[in-house]
Amino acid sequence: MEIVVCVKPVPEAETRLRVASDGKRLDVEAVKFVLAGYDESAVEQALLLKESVPGSAVTAVSYGPTPRTEEVLRAAIALGCDRAVWVEAAAGASDDPIDVARALAAAIRPLAHDLLLCGKQAGDDEAGLVAAALGELLGVPDFGYVTDLKWDAGRGRLTFRRSAETGVESWEAPLPCVIGLQQAWNDPRTAKLPAILKSRKAPIAKVTPPAVAAAGRSAAEKFELPPPRTGAKLIEYKTPDEAAQKLVRILREEAKVFP
Amino acid sequence: MTGRILVVGEARGGHLAEATLEAIGTARTLAGADAISGYVAGASAQGAAAEFARYGVSDVRWASDPALDDAAAGKVTPSVAAAADATGASLVLVGGTSFGRELTGHLAVRWNAAAATGVTDVTRDATGWQVRRPVFGGRATETRRLDGDRAVVALRPHAFPIAAEASLGPHVVPVDPVETPAGWREVRRLGTEAVAAGGGPSLTDASIVVSGGRGVRAPENFHLVEDLAVALGAAVGASRAVTDAGWRPGSYQVGQTGKAVSPQLYIAIGISGAIQHLVGMVSSRVIVAINSDGSAPIFKVADYGVVGDLFQIVPALTAEVRRARGM
Repeated sequence: MEIVVCVKPVPEAETRLRVASDGKRLDVEAVKFVLAGYDESAVEQALLLKESVPGSAVTAVSYGPTPRTEEVLRAAIALGCDRAVWVEAAAGASDDPIDVARALAAAIRPLAHDLLLCGKQAGDDEAGLVAAALGELLGVPDFGYVTDLKWDAGRGRLTFRRSAETGVESWEAPLPCVIGLQQAWNDPRTAKLPAILKSRKAPIAKVTPPAVAAAGRSAAEKFELPPPRTGAKLIEYKTPDEAAQKLVRILREEAKVFP
Repeated sequence: MTGRILVVGEARGGHLAEATLEAIGTARTLAGADAISGYVAGASAQGAAAEFARYGVSDVRWASDPALDDAAAGKVTPSVAAAADATGASLVLVGGTSFGRELTGHLAVRWNAAAATGVTDVTRDATGWQVRRPVFGGRATETRRLDGDRAVVALRPHAFPIAAEASLGPHVVPVDPVETPAGWREVRRLGTEAVAAGGGPSLTDASIVVSGGRGVRAPENFHLVEDLAVALGAAVGASRAVTDAGWRPGSYQVGQTGKAVSPQLYIAIGISGAIQHLVGMVSSRVIVAINSDGSAPIFKVADYGVVGDLFQIVPALTAEVRRARGM
């Protein structure tokens, strides 16, 4: 099975957010970028399938600028991906998720691809659009919010579950197919030191993204941080019952969120 | 650019989903009733199609094709694109569900439109639509301009009030079936299991979430959290400490490696407030923290706090909630 896993560099969760001088985006100066959390699940799923389906290979693909994109691709190789393709974005290139999906699709089309995996969304822009846009662009079915992915080699079908508002849905689909993975349900592995050292010398194929269309995209206008939280209003009480009564009254009359 | 809007609905048991009612409510703040159309797909969605009128949208397109009953966004997309063209919409608005977000990605490509998800505010000026949306787990907000004369927007759940009722007569127009895209023909939906044993709402859908953390001390105490959730009609969540210890399944986890939630009310019980948890809940509208350690970081992001022993406070709160709700 030829597996393609799309990964994205995102600021690590502990990053202290600051607004860039243009007021339109995150200031990435001194920010450490890591493999997006949901994408770790996608890489893990790719490696599990590779290990269970003989003759499989995993190609990691990422779109973004230097150096962070190359770094997450090396991280993916250190985890066990066989190849890496870097769609190099120029500085100041469009950050529109559909543009990103178009760039990824153009890089993926010439590759052998039976299964495409990605995180259901990334923790920075939280758009969650890439899996569906890739499905539409490549003309293959796609499913987000997936857990419990299994490959039935005899029938040539993927079976999986996905969390939706009405419950947990069960589906089966043929290949090729795009799967966007839910949270870290598969306990992603960590890379071992020898593999990390080896990944530094691994070859990475570099491709140029296609020219973007003139319209039909979103562009950042403003990036704002909320006013600093002033801290909780603490409820004063003498007995637990008094605390409970005061809290219910506040939720009902002041916050107006009591059901 | 016209200001016409198409609201793509979802049917749940013959009715429009709450997320659809939020989308209709939003559309009505942006355009007059005669500039809004509705759309819903599936043979079982006829009742839902007629229901648009009750919320002030009388022009409704209904794709009655039973092949669309499985609500796979990629299958519905060609039919939605045709309806968007037929109604002359410049904005397609969908509720903030998994279906809505997936449809947004598909339609952006097929209908050549700018797209945004998780949107908490939509405005329009002479150049086009603009949206605001929380990013980084609610730790920042971005404003994006949607260029061009077509946009697809998925709202953030619970960020908008549902549409007020209006007494219009329905005018449901059946739309022609559209060929299923080739890749989708062998896809099968095998079934759906209801989540949230006990009939509570799902974590990401709930307007109230009650979560427990390490302070609960042992799995046999977790019922304190669940009892309060039942009294409030809330979903139950947990911090990573609880799911890592196996007290509750991983599906309960709220946080960076779990689910991100943004309910109207989030109650954190015995949760210290590690950044990995905060990322998943900080965009909740009102946050209440109950913790014995007054210096716990959770009190910095909470709106209201009770410093005290959760084993005393939570049962008292559950009893008070039940009394206040006449239970």
